[in-house]
Amino acid sequence: MTQAIAGRRVLVVEDESLVAMLLETILEDMGCVPVGPAATVDEGLRLSGAEEPLDAALLDVNVAGKQVFPVAQALKARGVPFVFSTGYGEGGLPDEWRGQPTLQKPFTEAAVRDALMTAMGLADV
Amino acid sequence: MGLKELFKSGDLTVDLASVFDASPNPYVLLTPDLRIAGMNQAYLNVTGATREAILGKPLFDAFDSGPGEDAPENVRQVKASLEKARDTGQRDHLAVVRFSIARRQANGADTFEDRFWSATHTPIFDDAGEVVFLLQHTTDITELETLRNRGRTATEASALDSVVSGAVLGRAEQVQEDNRRLETERNQLVELFMQAPGFIAVLSGPDHVFQMHNMAYAQLIGHRDIAGKPLVEALPEIESQGFIPLLDTVLATGEPFEGRSLGVQLQRSPDAPLETVWVDFIFQPIRDADGQTIGVFVQGHEVTESVLADERQKLMIDELNHRVKNTLATVQSIAMQTARSHADPRTFAEGFQARLLALSHTHDLLTRRNWEGADLGDILQHETEAHGASRVSTNGPRVALAPAAALSLGMIFHELATNAAKYGALSAQDGRVLVDWSIADPTRPRLKLVWRETGGPPVTAPDRKGFGSRLIERNVRHDLAGEIELDYPSGGLTVTISVPLEREPDL
Repeated sequence: MTQAIAGRRVLVVEDESLVAMLLETILEDMGCVPVGPAATVDEGLRLSGAEEPLDAALLDVNVAGKQVFPVAQALKARGVPFVFSTGYGEGGLPDEWRGQPTLQKPFTEAAVRDALMTAMGLADV
Repeated sequence: MGLKELFKSGDLTVDLASVFDASPNPYVLLTPDLRIAGMNQAYLNVTGATREAILGKPLFDAFDSGPGEDAPENVRQVKASLEKARDTGQRDHLAVVRFSIARRQANGADTFEDRFWSATHTPIFDDAGEVVFLLQHTTDITELETLRNRGRTATEASALDSVVSGAVLGRAEQVQEDNRRLETERNQLVELFMQAPGFIAVLSGPDHVFQMHNMAYAQLIGHRDIAGKPLVEALPEIESQGFIPLLDTVLATGEPFEGRSLGVQLQRSPDAPLETVWVDFIFQPIRDADGQTIGVFVQGHEVTESVLADERQKLMIDELNHRVKNTLATVQSIAMQTARSHADPRTFAEGFQARLLALSHTHDLLTRRNWEGADLGDILQHETEAHGASRVSTNGPRVALAPAAALSLGMIFHELATNAAKYGALSAQDGRVLVDWSIADPTRPRLKLVWRETGGPPVTAPDRKGFGSRLIERNVRHDLAGEIELDYPSGGLTVTISVPLEREPDL
């Protein structure tokens, strides 16, 4: 079931290292390759640039007091699917980003995998 | 030629004057300050006065109702009715009023005769609409009144007469009394309307013209002059805010509209920007006798304070939720990572609890200062005191840390102390830890901290990094955007941490 997602390169933007470490562990367990983690929006923008091969991204909405949406914009422009993670839930997203796959903190491994598969349009086989 | 024009200059033309004079009904014409400006023959006949004696005199100097004890009250009633006609521009009636008239006796002395009158007071206007005269028409009803009183006590008059006259006069008196009571009530209602704590306004017609508004309404709109003006003219900023279509709908359908916590932007002082005020209100249709909606009664109160308080509370709850969820994710991470390095559930529980308590301690320190920040020395002391205060010596200035930095350093110190107690200086009898820190470059402050272990077992660099050391390194580099060096000289572990202290909170 995790085969489809194995080997994918997933950018992590998350300012809290403990949460970033959790995501990395979950990603590694699924066979993914974590990229980052980026602790700031600037670093997230740098890592979402064209030279970094990416298959997907996990974006914390509030990164060190700033909103992550510029990174989401850059990824959208590149066609890289992404998932928001937030303590606010989907209700905390501005209208522009409603409907985007969203992870509620705290999250289970299954929730992370499902959200990434949905974002990437992969069938859960 | 109308009566109005004739009276305009105060002169009566000869023709009209003769008609007036010939009337069998007594008339007296008064100036607005209640001086006698003219009268007809019937009036002179009924009062027994002469034109010369009373012309130009104040009415109540000429007629004072005599020396009887009811006289002041009689004068008051007539005066009140005249003043009301003058002040309201409306005709006023006195159905029955007692008023004594002087009668000159043969010996030249005056005696007063008790008489009953029915009076009508009619205001007369000039072209500008000002009251220039008051016309009093009096009818002597003494006979009727006498008859009626006699009917009450005696049987001389015919029963029919006394019933009829008594009933008619009684009803007239009753109407007069009712009017007085209604007017008092009306005045009280107007007073209540003006003083009501909620705002009230009465709008009439399709242009929503302000007929009345109370003090709370005046206060709401910044005391502008709106009386008699259409809404769009009185409060131009309202036009684009959707209230006029609502009023139009109330007029068209006759259905009330209720608004809850609606924002309205008002120009409360002439040069200030528009101010947003939140209101609860109701637009209530006003109907005429035929049931047609002819206006709107606006009533409501300002709820700005409670709307803002609700918004603040919602923001706080959102923020609290965000923090709690983030903290839970942190705890989840600690649990998961701790589980991976502890196969035995018992040692897992110990390690997990110790990390939770480290996090909790820093929360306590932050809570004491309303989550504005915490002091570095306090955090260090909290995380190391379990290992013996004398074995960990701390040395450095006070450093105020922002909440995020405080939480990170709390975890770092916890991991360092735990590691020292397990494998380092604090695992040996005489081992010690020296922690020294300083602030370099005060313009762009940077914290430099050295954790040095001595007296412990000989150390060597580990061949793989555990969760503890990964957590330390990641916290410094990732969360604090700093640098960390771990050295393993044989005398003991030395950790050098350097982190920028931007946005230093004021403690």
